[in-house]
Amino acid sequence: MYKYDHIDQTLVDQRVIQFRDQVERRLNGTLAEEEFRPLRLQNGLYHQRHAYMLRVAIPYGLLSAKQLRTLAFIADKYDRGYGHFTTRQNIQFNWIELEQTPDILAELAKVEMHAIQTSGNCIRNITSDAFAGVAADEYIDPRPVCELLRQWSTLHPEFAHLPRKFKFAINGAKEDRTVLLCHDVGIELKKNPNNNGELIADIYAGGGMGRTPILGSLIKQGLPWQVLPSYLTALLRVYNRFGRRDNLYKARIKILVKALGPEEFARQVEGEWVHLHNEVKQSKNNFTKSEWERVAKHFTKPAYQQLNAISDETILAAATEAERNAFARWLKRNVKSHQVPGYASVILSLKPHGTVAPGDATSAQMNAIADLADQYSFGELRVTHEQNLVLADVKQSKLFELWQAAKQQHVALPNIGLLTDIIACPGGDFCSLANAKSLPIAKAIQERFDDLDYLFDLGDISLNISGCINSCGHHHLGNIGVLGVDKDGEEWYQITLGGEQGNDASIGKVIGPSFYANEIADVMTSLINTYIEQRTSNESFIETYRRLGVAPFKEAAYKNALNKNDKHSEESKKGAIA
Amino acid sequence: MNKHIIYFPKDGKPAVINNEWQIWDGECDEGGIPDLEHGLHKVLVPFHWWITHCKNADIIQRANQGDIGVWFAADDDILKHADIIEQGKKLWPVVGAHFPIFRDGRSFSTAALLRDRFEWQGEVRAIGDVLIDQLLQGARVGFDAFELRPDQNLDIGLKQFDLFSVTTQNSWRDTRSSQAAI
Repeated sequence: MYKYDHIDQTLVDQRVIQFRDQVERRLNGTLAEEEFRPLRLQNGLYHQRHAYMLRVAIPYGLLSAKQLRTLAFIADKYDRGYGHFTTRQNIQFNWIELEQTPDILAELAKVEMHAIQTSGNCIRNITSDAFAGVAADEYIDPRPVCELLRQWSTLHPEFAHLPRKFKFAINGAKEDRTVLLCHDVGIELKKNPNNNGELIADIYAGGGMGRTPILGSLIKQGLPWQVLPSYLTALLRVYNRFGRRDNLYKARIKILVKALGPEEFARQVEGEWVHLHNEVKQSKNNFTKSEWERVAKHFTKPAYQQLNAISDETILAAATEAERNAFARWLKRNVKSHQVPGYASVILSLKPHGTVAPGDATSAQMNAIADLADQYSFGELRVTHEQNLVLADVKQSKLFELWQAAKQQHVALPNIGLLTDIIACPGGDFCSLANAKSLPIAKAIQERFDDLDYLFDLGDISLNISGCINSCGHHHLGNIGVLGVDKDGEEWYQITLGGEQGNDASIGKVIGPSFYANEIADVMTSLINTYIEQRTSNESFIETYRRLGVAPFKEAAYKNALNKNDKHSEESKKGAIA
Repeated sequence: MNKHIIYFPKDGKPAVINNEWQIWDGECDEGGIPDLEHGLHKVLVPFHWWITHCKNADIIQRANQGDIGVWFAADDDILKHADIIEQGKKLWPVVGAHFPIFRDGRSFSTAALLRDRFEWQGEVRAIGDVLIDQLLQGARVGFDAFELRPDQNLDIGLKQFDLFSVTTQNSWRDTRSSQAAI
C-alpha cells in the first residue's frame, strides 16, 4: 500500500497544527461556531445527537494492520471501545470530545492517517473496489489512480467550498463493486486496445442517491490517465461556478447535470478543459510518468509464493467431519477467488445476528483482526462499502486455520451477500439528521431470519437500511430497501424493492404506504415468502422481482398492514440534509 | 472600509499595508460614482455597472488615471464578458472578487480564471466576507490581496500563509511539491 514520503507526512502534520489552532480559537470564543463548522467538517468532525462523531479517512478502503491497531487505540482512549465502518470505506467514532480532536489527529498522523475532507462541501474520500489488485475479474488495479487523485484533491484550494459534497468512485474490474453510477463522478478504468494497453478512463457524472436518486451519465470516454487532473479541474470548476447554492437540497452536481442534460454538461466541461489542455498548451496539472512511478511503486504485488490452486475438496478436508458443514458454508459465502493460484480473499463479517450494529467492531476485534492481517494477509486489509472487512491475500492452505481464528473473534458468520448482511446507517440512535432508528430494524430482521439453512436457501439478497432520505445506508440500491420517514413524530418506514448495485444497477421503488417499526420483520417475512413461492429454479430474489414486478410483493406486504391508505406512499423526501 | 489589507504578492511575503481602494457596492446609483471617503480617489466598481457605464467620458478619464477597478460578484460569469475584461486589463490596476459569505467558493474559481484564462498580472483582491481561515486557499488560487471582514485579526491572518510548506496540487501560486524540485 501507499507509504507516505516527506511531502505527505509534512502535510498531515501541518494539518494537525492548523486544526489545533482553529479548535483553540473556537474554544476561546474568537471563532464563531458557524465559521468553525466547515473547518471541523473538513477534518471529519461531525456533530451528532449525543456527541461529536469523527470520521477517519481510509483511502479507497485500504488499511494496514498497524493503522488498524491505532484505530483500536483511539477507540479505547478517546471513544467507547469500538468503531463503525461506513458505506464509503471510512471509519467513524461516535463519542468524541472536541477538545481531544487535535490529539486524535496527531495520533492518526503518526500512522499516516487523517480525517481530511471526510465531511464538508469538498472532495471526499475516493472509494474503490475492496478487491483491487486481487480480484480475478480485474482489468487494471485502480489504486495508483485512486492515490494520485487523492493527493490531487487533498486541500485543493479552488474546490475548498463547493456547493455541496463531492464523491468519487473508481473501478478497474469487469464487475462493478464500487457503486460507480451513484457517485458524483465515477471513473471506469480500462486498457486501451488501440494503444498498447495504455490506461484510459471513462467518466460518469451526476449519479447520486438521497432525495433524487439517479444513475450517472457517461460524459467522456477514453481519457488517457495523464490528463485526469486537468479534465477533472474543468469538471469541478463548472460545478463550483454553476452548481446551485440557493437550495441545499438541490446543490449536488446531479441536479446540475440533470438540469443541463448530460450532453450540455459534457460540452461545458469540454469547453473549459480545452483552455487548460490542448495541442498547444499541455496542462502542467497533468500527471507525469515520474508521478506515476512515485505512487505505483507501492502497489506492486506482494511476495506471493508459487503455489498450485487447491481444490475445494482438499480445502474442506482440513476440517473435521463435525465442522465440515459450517466450514463449507463459510467457504461458499465469505471466500472469493483470487488472481493468483493458491490464494483467496476472505471477507470478515461484521454482521452478527442481532448483537451489534452492522459494520461495528470493538477495539479487541480490531486488534485481533490486525494480527490476522499480519499473519495471513501481508499485514493489510480492506473495508468494503457493505461495511465488512477483507483479508485479500490469504493462502488457500491457511483458510481453515483462519476460519477458526475468525470464529474466535465473531467475524466468521457465513452471511456475506445474504439477507442478514445488512447495510445500515447509524440512524436515529446516533445521527441528528435521522427520521428514525435503523439499528433496531436491522436487529429485528437479523433475529427473525436467524437460520443459516434458510438464509442459504434464499441466496443472494441485499437489504439496505437508511434512517432518512440522505440514504447513507444506500437503501435505494438494496434489493430490499428500508427508509425511515417522519410520520407525525413517530418512527415509520417505507419499503423499496428492486434496487441493485453493480453493472446492472437499478434504483429501488417505494412499494406503498409506510409501515410501523414493529411491522417490519413481518413485512420482510411476507416479501421473502412471496419470493420463495414464486421463484423458478435458481432465480435470485432480484431476478424474481424483475420478472414479476412489484404487485405480488406489495399484496403480500400490505395484507395485514396498519397503514394501508396512508398518504405516505410517495418517496419520502422529508428530513434535514446530510 | 478597512484601513488595512493583507497584500501577498506572488513572489513575495505577506504583509499588512494601507488600503487605498474603496469598494462601491453600486447602490444609490445616481448616474455616477458617489463621492469617496476623504483622501481617497481609487474605487472598485461593480462589474455589471462598469459594463453599462464604461463609455462614459468621466469614467474613462478616471480610469486612465488608474483610479478605477472592478469587482466581480460571486455569480458574475466573467467568461461571458471576456472581451470587456481583456480591455479592462489595460485599465484596472486592481480587480476584486466578492465573497457574499465565506463558504461560497465561487470566487475561488473567478480568481483562478482571471489568472489562468486571462493571464491577469495585476492585483486580484478578495473582498466581502473574507475570513482568516480561507486566506490560504485564496492565496493559492490567485488572490494576492485581501480585505478581511473588519472583525478579523490581521496578525493571525498573516500567520495562515505559513501553515503548509507542501502542496499536492498545482495552483496559481504553487507547483505541487512532488514536481517542484524537477
